[in-house]
Amino acid sequence: MAAHNLSAVLKEHGNAVKLLRNSKIGMYVYPVVAPEFSNWRNEQVAWRKSAVLFDQTHHMDELIVEGPDSAAFLEYVGINSFANFDLNRAKHFVPVTPAGHVIGDMIIFREREDKFVLVGRAPTANWVRFQQAVGKWKVRLTHDPRSDSRPDGKAIYRTHYRFQIQGPEANKIFDKINGGPVPDVKFFHVDWIKIGSRRVQALRHGMAGAPGLEVWGPYADKHYIQTTILQAARDVGVDLHLVGSRAYSTNTLESGWIPSPLPGIYTGGGMLQEYRDWLGADSYEAVGSIGGSLATDNIEEYYVNPFELGYGFYIGWKTDFIGKDALLKMKDQKNRQKVTLEWNRDDLLKVVASSFEEGVPYKWIDFPQPNYASTNADVLLNGKTPAGISMFNGYSFNERCMLSLAVVNADVKIGDQLTLIWGEPQQTGKTSTEPHRQAEIRVRVSPTPYSRDARENYADSWRTKSGK
Amino acid sequence: MALKNLEDVLKAAKNPVDLLRNSRIGAYVYPVVPSEFSNWRDEQAAWRKSAVLFDQSHHMVDIYIKGPDAVKLCSDLAINSFANFPVDRAKQFIPCSYSGHVIGDGILFHLEKNNLVFVGRAPTANWIQFHAETGKYRVKIKNDDRSPGNPKGKAVNRISYRFQIQGPNAWPVIEKLNGKKVPDLKFFHMSTMKIAGQKIRTLRHGMAGAPGLEIWGPYKDREKIREAIIKAGEQFGLRQVGSRAYATNTLESGWIPSPLPAVYTDERMKKYRKWLPANSYEATGGLAGSFVSDNIEDYYVTPYEIGYGPFVKFDHEFIGREALEKMANKPHRRKVTFAWNSDDVAKAFASMFAGSDEHYKYIDLPLSNYASASFDKIVDKNGKVVGASMFAGYSYNEKSMLSLGIVDPNVQLGDEVTLVWGEPNGGTNKTTVERHKQLNIRATVSAVPYSKFVRETYAAGWRTGT
Repeated sequence: MAAHNLSAVLKEHGNAVKLLRNSKIGMYVYPVVAPEFSNWRNEQVAWRKSAVLFDQTHHMDELIVEGPDSAAFLEYVGINSFANFDLNRAKHFVPVTPAGHVIGDMIIFREREDKFVLVGRAPTANWVRFQQAVGKWKVRLTHDPRSDSRPDGKAIYRTHYRFQIQGPEANKIFDKINGGPVPDVKFFHVDWIKIGSRRVQALRHGMAGAPGLEVWGPYADKHYIQTTILQAARDVGVDLHLVGSRAYSTNTLESGWIPSPLPGIYTGGGMLQEYRDWLGADSYEAVGSIGGSLATDNIEEYYVNPFELGYGFYIGWKTDFIGKDALLKMKDQKNRQKVTLEWNRDDLLKVVASSFEEGVPYKWIDFPQPNYASTNADVLLNGKTPAGISMFNGYSFNERCMLSLAVVNADVKIGDQLTLIWGEPQQTGKTSTEPHRQAEIRVRVSPTPYSRDARENYADSWRTKSGK
Repeated sequence: MALKNLEDVLKAAKNPVDLLRNSRIGAYVYPVVPSEFSNWRDEQAAWRKSAVLFDQSHHMVDIYIKGPDAVKLCSDLAINSFANFPVDRAKQFIPCSYSGHVIGDGILFHLEKNNLVFVGRAPTANWIQFHAETGKYRVKIKNDDRSPGNPKGKAVNRISYRFQIQGPNAWPVIEKLNGKKVPDLKFFHMSTMKIAGQKIRTLRHGMAGAPGLEIWGPYKDREKIREAIIKAGEQFGLRQVGSRAYATNTLESGWIPSPLPAVYTDERMKKYRKWLPANSYEATGGLAGSFVSDNIEDYYVTPYEIGYGPFVKFDHEFIGREALEKMANKPHRRKVTFAWNSDDVAKAFASMFAGSDEHYKYIDLPLSNYASASFDKIVDKNGKVVGASMFAGYSYNEKSMLSLGIVDPNVQLGDEVTLVWGEPNGGTNKTTVERHKQLNIRATVSAVPYSKFVRETYAAGWRTGT
C-alpha cells in the first residue's frame, strides 16, 4: 500500500536523511515568473542602484487565520511576542518544535483584530494547520499553497498577487502611483495606498536602508497593478527592473535571510510523532530534498535553532508557546551564529574550469543560483574540524562574488578562513545532481548582511543582530 | 503616429542594423517547457547515452496550408525540389529572397492530399502566409503562432502537441510503446504507431546516427501521450529535456536555427515589408554579437553558406532561382563548428569576480545566445574578418563551448581563429546585455556535426592538451 503520511514514508525509507537526500522532486523552483526579464546581472544591479519590482505572487504559501482566538493561537504556535502587534503591522513569525528547533518562518500580517495573513514556505503553514487541527482554538484557516512548480501551459490561480517595489529610487515611484504623497509608515507597518484606481494594502519594507513597499490584493488585479507601477516608473524616469526568477532568490545573499532551514520535525515523539502522522505523503516535508556535502545519518544535524538564525530577540518569554522550555535551556548555551561566507575566487574558478576538462567535473555551480535542493547543507571545516553548515548560495553581480549564508560555531570570528566542501560525497538519487567530484572551496567569514550598503543602512533588525 | 508595418518601422529607424541590434524584446525564449526537468547536464548526456523526450509543442510556429495549390505554393517559394514529395513525406523547407538569401527554414509535412503543415520559426511561416494571402493560390492558411514567451500563469493552447523521442535507446522506447516492432523508415518519411491505445502519426528522424521519431497529435492529448512515453522510457534511461538544454542539442548536430531573414532590403521585398506587422519577429527581433556593419545585407546568408547547397534544385521555378543560379558555381563561405578555447572561456568567467569595468560579456551556460539572431565576428591571425559565429552554447558531452557559423572558403578545418565575444563600446541597448568589454576567444575550426569529427579526427588537439 502506498504511504499515506510522512510517518509511513519515513518507515519505508528507513532514515529521514536518506529519504530527503535522494528526493526526486528536482530543483526548488521559483515558479511562473519568467527566468529573466532583462538579464539577471542588470536585474541584480537594479536593486542596488535604481529600483526593482519583485513578483512574489507565486513562490510562497499563504495562510489566512481568522476567528476570535487567532492572536492567542498564533502566539502559542510561534516564538514571537505579540505584545506590540497592533493592527496593520507585520512580523516575522517563527515557530519551533517542542525541542526548540526551527520549523520555518513566514511574514505575518495583522489585518484585523481577529484576522492574520501568513506568507512563506510550506513548513510553517503546515505546522500552523496541524496545530489548528489538533487544538481547540476558535480559529478558521484558509490555505492557498504556492503555485505549481512546472505549470507547463496550465493556468495558475492564486488568491492574491504580491509585489515588492524596492531599491534606492523606489520611493520616487510611490507618490506617483498613489497620486499624492504616501503615508509615512514605519518599517513593517501596513497602510492603504492607491495604485491607479485600486486601493491596496502596502507593507513598508526596505532594502539596504531605502524605503520599499510590499503590496497585495486580489489576483485578478495583478496585471493592472503591475502595468500601473511600470508606467509610474516610466513617468518619473526611474529605471525600474522587473526581477526574474533567476535573480530573485539571490537577493537574500546581500540582505542575509536564510529562506530554507530544514523543518526540525523528523524526530521526537509526542506532538511531533502526531505531526508526522498528520503530514501527507506528498507534503513539502515528505517530498522536499536536502542537497550538499553534509551527509550524516542523523537528521538532527540539519536542524537549527532560532538563536542560530538570529531570531533570539523575537522571543516573547512572557507568554507560553510551543518550544519555550527548550529555548530557555538553549538561550545560554554557546549557540552557532549566522554569517555570510565569501567564496574564494580561484577555488571557485577551478570548479567552473572542470566543466571544460575531460573526466568527472566538480559539482556544477549554476549562476546566479547554485542551490540544487529545497534545503542546502554544505560542510564547513576549520582546518579539519567541523565549523558549521553553509545553507544558501548565490552569486552577486553587485559584489562580484559568490556568497553563502551559514551558521558557524560560536568561536568562529569575522575574517576567519574556513573550507567549504562543495558537492556530495556519493551520487544521490536527486535529479538535480549530475555525477561529480567534491571540491574544497576556501571561504572568508563575513558579516550578515554582507553588502556594505545593507550593513550600513539597514534598519536595526534581526538581520544585523547576532545570535547571542 | 503608430507604426503599422516593418516598412514603417525601418523608415523610423536610422538603420535596420541599429534597430535590431538595439531591440528591447529580450532573450529568444524557448517557452512554457520547464527550464530543467532533472538538470541540464544530465539532460544533455541522455541524448548521447540513453534517450530523451524533447517537447517541441511550444517554441515553433505551425502554419497549416490546405487547398489544391498547397504544394504549388510551397514549391514556388522553396529552393527544394518537390519532384518526389508524396503524402507522408517531410522535407526541410528553405525559402529564399529574390536575391538568393535565406529567409528561414523548417520542416514541411505532407499530411494528406492538399494538406501541408510547416513547422519552424516565424520568418518562414510569415513568408508562406504572405504569398498565400497575396498570390493567386487556391489555399487556406491557418497560422498557429508559437506560445507566448512569458505565459504569466495563463493557460497556453496549441493546435498540436509535438514530441521527439531521440537518442541511442529511442527505438527500444518506441517499440515498447507500440507493443511490437516498428518498421524503420527512411529519414523524413512518415508513418504511424500506437501510443496509449491511440494511433499517432510519426516522422522518422534521428540523431547522431541513431533512429528517432517525431510525433504529434491534438494538443489535448499531450499529457496522456507524454506520460505513456515517460513510463515506457524509464527502463531505458529516457529523460525529459528542459528548455535550457533543448536548444543546445543543435550544437552537436549542426543545424543553425537562427539565420537573419533577408527581408530588410531590396525593392522587390517592399510589398512584403508593408505586409509584415510592426510587431512581427522581423520588426522586433534582436541581433547580437561583435560583428557590426552598417549594411544589414552583411548579415544575410545564402543556402550554400549554411549547408543547404544540396537542397538547391533548379528543376522548378522559385523565388530566388535566378540569383542562386548565378552564385551556384562560385566559391561559398561554408558552415563549420567553432570549438572554443577553454582557457579563454575561463577568462570570461574569471571576470565575474573582477572590478566592474573588467567584466566580459557573461557567457550563460548552456545556451549563450542573447538575441533572436547572433553574429560574432571570426578573425584570422592578421585581424581579417573571415567568418561569423551564429549560435553558441556549451556541450556537457564534449565538455566544450561550441558554436555554429560560417567561414570563408580558404579557412581550413583545424585552423585556429579568433572569435570576438561581446559587443563593441560596452554593448548595445538590448535588455539582455549588461555593460561589458570584448574578449578574444581562440577557436578551432571544426566539422559539422562536431562530435563525430572530434572522435575520429581530432583526438589530439588543444582540447586534449597535446
